[in-house]
Amino acid sequence: MSHLPDLVGGFLTTLALVALSAAGAFALGVVVVVLRVGPLRVLRAVGTGYVETFQNIPLLVWLVLFVFGLPEVGVRFPLFTTAVVVISLYEAAYVAEALRSGVNTVAQGQGEAARALGLTFGQTLRHVVVPQAARRVVQPLGNIGIALTMNTSLAAVAGVVELTASANRVNLVEALPIPIFVGAGLCYALLAAGIGGLAGVLERRLAT
Amino acid sequence: MMFDPPGPRGRRRSRIASAVAVVVVLALVLVAVRRFDAAGQLEVAKWRPFLTWPVWRYLLTGLWATVLAAAMIFLLAAVAGLALAFGRMSSFPWPFKAYIEVVRTIPVLLLIYVVLFVLPAYGLDLPLFWKLVLPLAVSHAAQFAEVFRAGVLAVDRGQGEAGASLGLTHAQNMRLVVLPQAVRHVLPSLVSQTVGLLKDTALGYVVSYLELLQSGRVLANFNHLLIQTFLVVGLVYLVVNASLSKLARHLEARGARSAR
Amino acid sequence: MRWTTLSVVVLLAVAGCSGGESAVPGGAPPSAIDRLLAKAPVATAIPAGSAMARIKDRGELLIGGSLDAPLLSQQNPGTGELTGFDADLGKLLAKYIIGEPKTKLVTSTSETREPLLANGTVDVILQTYTITPQRAERVAFAGPYYSSGQAIAVRRGTTGIAKPADLAGRKVIAGANTPAIAAIKAAAPTAEIVEFGSDPECLTALRQGRGEAYVQDQALLIADAAQDGELEVVGEPFTTDPYGIGLKHGDEQFKQFVNDWLREIQKSGLWQDVWRDSIGTVVKGDPPTPPVIGSAQGS
Repeated sequence: MSHLPDLVGGFLTTLALVALSAAGAFALGVVVVVLRVGPLRVLRAVGTGYVETFQNIPLLVWLVLFVFGLPEVGVRFPLFTTAVVVISLYEAAYVAEALRSGVNTVAQGQGEAARALGLTFGQTLRHVVVPQAARRVVQPLGNIGIALTMNTSLAAVAGVVELTASANRVNLVEALPIPIFVGAGLCYALLAAGIGGLAGVLERRLAT
Repeated sequence: MMFDPPGPRGRRRSRIASAVAVVVVLALVLVAVRRFDAAGQLEVAKWRPFLTWPVWRYLLTGLWATVLAAAMIFLLAAVAGLALAFGRMSSFPWPFKAYIEVVRTIPVLLLIYVVLFVLPAYGLDLPLFWKLVLPLAVSHAAQFAEVFRAGVLAVDRGQGEAGASLGLTHAQNMRLVVLPQAVRHVLPSLVSQTVGLLKDTALGYVVSYLELLQSGRVLANFNHLLIQTFLVVGLVYLVVNASLSKLARHLEARGARSAR
Repeated sequence: MRWTTLSVVVLLAVAGCSGGESAVPGGAPPSAIDRLLAKAPVATAIPAGSAMARIKDRGELLIGGSLDAPLLSQQNPGTGELTGFDADLGKLLAKYIIGEPKTKLVTSTSETREPLLANGTVDVILQTYTITPQRAERVAFAGPYYSSGQAIAVRRGTTGIAKPADLAGRKVIAGANTPAIAAIKAAAPTAEIVEFGSDPECLTALRQGRGEAYVQDQALLIADAAQDGELEVVGEPFTTDPYGIGLKHGDEQFKQFVNDWLREIQKSGLWQDVWRDSIGTVVKGDPPTPPVIGSAQGS
C-alpha cells in the first residue's frame, strides 16, 4: 500500500480535530451550563436557546452553514478551524446538558445549606456542587467524547481530509475497500477506547 | 436553587446585567445580519423562491422521506436494541456486550461506506433507502440497547424481588412488573434518541437518498441559492425536532405526575 | 415552546397562500423535449428474448443517472421534471424501444453504477460515464454519445493561471468523486485538491477564496459563468472524456441496438437538436460534430 502516508495523515488530522474540538466543547459547555443554572433569567433563556438550536439541527447542516455562511458575514477561518469551531459549538450543547444533569443530581438541600452559610452563587458552585457532580458527569462526558470522535468524520463536508475522507480517497484509487475501511474503523475504535479508558481512570481518581 | 431571591440591590444589579446581556446579544445579531445583508444575501430575489409552493412541496417531500427513513430505523433499532439489552442482562452477555461496545465506536459514515463500497463488490447492491437505513439501524440498535438497559436497571431491585416472591416467573416478572416501570424511565431518552436518529438521516446525501438535506442540495444546485436553502432546511429540522423534544418534556412531566 | 407551534403555522400559511406562483428561478429553461419526441424514431424490430424486448414488455426504461447535474440530468424541484442532455437522450431511447418516452430514474453514484447494471436494477446508465478500457472489462459501453472535457475556472482578475500546468502547487477546488480529481493529479501532481460535495458549494468556495481555481466539466463551467459574472473560464478543456451509455457487461446485442439508434439520431439531426436544447443554451455556436460511434478505446 503506497498510500499509507495518506491514511496516517488523515488519522493525525482526526486526532487534532478530536483534541481541539473536545477542549472547545468542554470550555463552551461549562459557560453554557453556568448560564443555564445561573440567576439571570435572560441568560438562562440564552443558554436554553443555544442548547435547543444546536441539538435539533444536524451537524451536517451546521457545517455547510458555517463553511459557506461565515465568510458572508465577514468571518473567514481556514477550513480546519471552521470544522473545529462547528464541532465544538455543536458538542458544547451536549456537554452543557450532561453537566446540568450532573448539577441536578446534587441534592437541593446542599445548595440551600450553602446559601444558609452565606456562600455566593459562584462559591456554591465551586465548593459544594462541582466536587460532588464531577464524579457523576465523567462517564456521560466520556460518552460525548466518543460521539464527538465519531462526528469528526463529517468534517469531510467542510473539505477537511480527516481519516474517513482519506480512507474514501485512497479506496477510490486502490479499490481495496475491506482493508482500508476495516483499518479506519480500528483507528476510531482505538481512539474511542482511549477516551473510555481516560474517563474510567478519571472516575476512579475522583471517587476518592 | 443555588442563589437567594435577590434583595433590592441584587434586583437592580441583575436588572442591569440582564439589560447588558440583551444589548450584547442583540448587537451581535444585528452586526451579523447587517454584514449578511451587505454581502447581498438578504436580497428579496434570493428569498422569494422560498415563498412559493413548488419549492415547499419539494422540501416537504424530502421531509416525508426523512420521516419514513427515521421511522424504519426506529423500528429496526428499537426491536434489535431490546433484544440486545436483554441479551446483555442474560447469563450469557458477552456477544451482546461486544456488539454494543464495538458498534458504538465506529462512525456511522464509515458503516455507510461499507454498505456503499464493500457490499457491491460482492454483488449486493441494496436499494437507496436501505443503504441509508441499514447502517443507521445497526448503529442505533447499540444505543437503544443501552437506553433500555438503563431503564430496566433504574427500576428498584425490590420490585423485581417482590414479583419473584409472589411466585411470578422471570418472564412474567419482566412483563408485568419491571417493563411497565422501565418504559416510563426510558421514554424521555427514547425521544432524544429519536431526535438524534432523525438528524442522522441527513447522511442520506452520501448515498443520494432524497431525504430533506439531499433535497436541499438538489434544490441549491438548481437555484444556486446555497446559503438560503440550507438556512431554510435547518429551520425545518429545528421545527420538527423541537416539536419532538417538546413531546418528550410533556411525556416526562406526565410520567412524573402519574408516578406520584 | 410556543414559538415552535407558531413557526409551523407561519410555515404552512406561507406554503399555502402562494401556491399559484411559478417555479424556481435560476435554472435552465424548460426543455423542448416534447417537440423532439414527436419526431423521434421507434425501432422497427425488437428481437424476442432480448434486453430490449424485456424493457418493452415492462413498458418503462430504467435509467441510472443523476438528479443534480446541470445541463445533463437535473431535476426541476418545482415540476419534478428531469431535463438536460442525458435526460433527453434517455427519453428518446425509451421511445425508440417502447414507443413511448416512459423512463424511471434510479439515482446512481460513480461507485454503484457497475453493480446496478450487473444485478439488473437499471437497464442503462446515462451519467457522464467516461469510457475507459479498464471499465470496459466490467461494463459494455454503447457510444461514445458525447465528448466532453475538464476545464479550469478562476475568479475574474486572477493572474498566473492559463493552463493546467499552472495549477502546480496551488489550491484547486474540485467536486468530490468527479473525474476532475484524476485530471488535476495527472496535469499538476503538486496541486492541493480541496473537495466539496456539489457544484454550488465549489462555486461558493471559489468565490470565498478557498482555492485559486476550480476544475470541472467545461459545459458546466460555461453554464456557471453565464450566471455569475465573477467567474471566468480559462482556456480550452485539457482532457477528452468520451461519455458512453453503460449497459450490462457482455450484452453485445443491446450494445449493437443502442449504437444503431445513436447513429440514426446523429444522422437525422435529432442529436444536434437535443444538444441545442440543453448544452447549446449556454455554449455559443453550432452543435459540435457528434463523436464517431465506437471511436473510444473500450467502446
